[in-house]
Amino acid sequence: MLNLPHNLKHAIKTLRLGDWLIVAGSVIIIVYLFQTLWSSEHATKVQIRLGDKIYATYTLNQQRDVHVHGPIGTAVISIAQGKARFSKSPCHNQYCVHQGWLTRAGQAAICLPNQISLELIGENKPYDSLNY
Amino acid sequence: MKHTPIQTTADDHRIAKLAAFAIALHMIEAVIPSPIPGVKPGIANIVTLYVLTQYGFATAAWVSILRVFASSLLLGQFLSPTFALSLGGAIISLLMLWLAMHLPRKHFSIVSLSILAAFAHIAGQLIIVRLWLIPHASVSYLIPIFAIAALFFGLINGLITAKLLYNKASNKQETPSP
Amino acid sequence: MLATLLLLALLGMAVFALNAYNKEPLYHSQSYVFGTLVDISIYGEPDERARLLSNHILQDFQSLHHQLHAWKPVSENQPSELGALNHAFSQGKAPVSISPQLAEMLTDATNFSVKSHGLFNPAIGHLISTWGFQRDEFGAVNIDDNKIKALVKSKPGMTDIVIKNYNAYSNNMAVKLDLGGYAKGYALDMAADYLRKQQVKHALINIGGNIIALGQHGKKPWRVGIQHPRQPSAIATLDLPDGWAIGTSGDYQRYFTHNGKRYCHIIDPRTGYPVQHTQAVTVLISPQTHAGVLSDVASKPIFIEAAENKAQAAAVFGVENWMVIDQKSNIRVSKAMAQKLHWLDTNVKFTTQP
Repeated sequence: MLNLPHNLKHAIKTLRLGDWLIVAGSVIIIVYLFQTLWSSEHATKVQIRLGDKIYATYTLNQQRDVHVHGPIGTAVISIAQGKARFSKSPCHNQYCVHQGWLTRAGQAAICLPNQISLELIGENKPYDSLNY
Repeated sequence: MKHTPIQTTADDHRIAKLAAFAIALHMIEAVIPSPIPGVKPGIANIVTLYVLTQYGFATAAWVSILRVFASSLLLGQFLSPTFALSLGGAIISLLMLWLAMHLPRKHFSIVSLSILAAFAHIAGQLIIVRLWLIPHASVSYLIPIFAIAALFFGLINGLITAKLLYNKASNKQETPSP
Repeated sequence: MLATLLLLALLGMAVFALNAYNKEPLYHSQSYVFGTLVDISIYGEPDERARLLSNHILQDFQSLHHQLHAWKPVSENQPSELGALNHAFSQGKAPVSISPQLAEMLTDATNFSVKSHGLFNPAIGHLISTWGFQRDEFGAVNIDDNKIKALVKSKPGMTDIVIKNYNAYSNNMAVKLDLGGYAKGYALDMAADYLRKQQVKHALINIGGNIIALGQHGKKPWRVGIQHPRQPSAIATLDLPDGWAIGTSGDYQRYFTHNGKRYCHIIDPRTGYPVQHTQAVTVLISPQTHAGVLSDVASKPIFIEAAENKAQAAAVFGVENWMVIDQKSNIRVSKAMAQKLHWLDTNVKFTTQP
């Protein structure tokens, strides 16, 4: 019954003007949804900086621990399905570890003593710089 | 719809038969794993659309709701979150179908109804997720994916339904009732 | 069907192509100088020139840092300029020669201190070191109430310092300068002046959280996020137009906890104890000669003052745009500031104050 190539051609013929309008409208809505919802909220990568250099950039769609050797020791950065955090740091105050999971683009955790920073990156940055 | 305590009507038989068919499609889909959680083709909706065109809204609503209840019972998901999502999606897409039915048939075929119902279905499910299941979760970035899936599967299901209706019409040499 | 897929693909590609085409003339660098993170963005300059300019600024910061370091000598036998001056203050009234730059800074800081009725007080270095904050790696200290009482009683103040012909001495041996609440702002102004002299139109400089803007980011103003004091994310964003500066004092920047209590680096000079009623104070400074310094200095008295006096403390420095988050996470925003903030959490609750 379902002879595909023939059916496809035939099926397209059955589409009427209103159907095309609805398809076009849906496409516009989808593009709009992508542009607004995937712009800032959704982080796709984590950028790790060591000193004044970009150490590495990882996609957030994975599960792994990254060991980074800073001036005062080795920090462990965990990446897990859309989020990232400092899970171990040799610094005294552990502010970076207390920051916990970063989940949204633009969020950052900085370890000043060890000069390592994490920043989540999305399609667009929600801001140019952070006041703290 | 006529209801007598013991006797069943031809209507009831038809509803039961069509619902059974929809349940079968629903079950097939349930056992096939989806690459993206929450994204499913919704082939059972083909039955709903077909019934809507052939027997009217009331029968379509019966078939659709019966399918949701029966499938969840068979799959052991009755009153579970999956069931709630299924029911919410079905109710809202029925509402949408009821509205869309009134579009001029000259310009809008069953494909339009299918796409609109698919969008309504995901909208209903997202509302339930947001309000009840995981109010704090950020599902917003999944919405565009759901929307693409709705357009894609809505279109395909609509085209399949159109084809079925066309076959029926040409086989039996009768025009489908509006 | 095919047509639809094609249309979808084309639209998708158009969106991505547009994004790729808009590769901006934006240079961005991050470095650790000044004991903190320095983040410089320069817009509209060739990358190479932007890199040289930014390196020049970083070198200036580095030397300023050495000059003003409150506890680290430049090398083993050579204390920082500020260290030498503090040593002389502790010994008696013999005048020490200081650089014109330091003289200017001290005069300026004294003016601010007087204006704030001593709440901004860079002369309480002894108190700060007693609380253990004059260390790179600090932790909980044993709180010596008697020592703190004695230090407060010795009343170190900026007005104790006398400067004549680039010679300085102090009338009070208890004075120990710590420019921690001033130097970052000063460095901001220095960098902004340098870039303006170099004809750079658009830049954003962030030193340890204090930010000053030059020009804008392409067609849009520079946009900054304000850190949430208790979460690893921004609480709000705002546009920083040409010449504006922003600064925050927070109890989350340098602190330790002891017996479940948080002790932050901002100390009330009247009591000698860290302030515990406030989480963060943000001030937005309109364009003026020392916008950077003001963004650093003005938040401190507001932070230290009790809730009912905070608005008055802001008015003293002519600051119209401020935000206060107290220990219960209640947010208070000045009327002018409320119009500029874009909250990131749409459910945020705050009160405005004229």
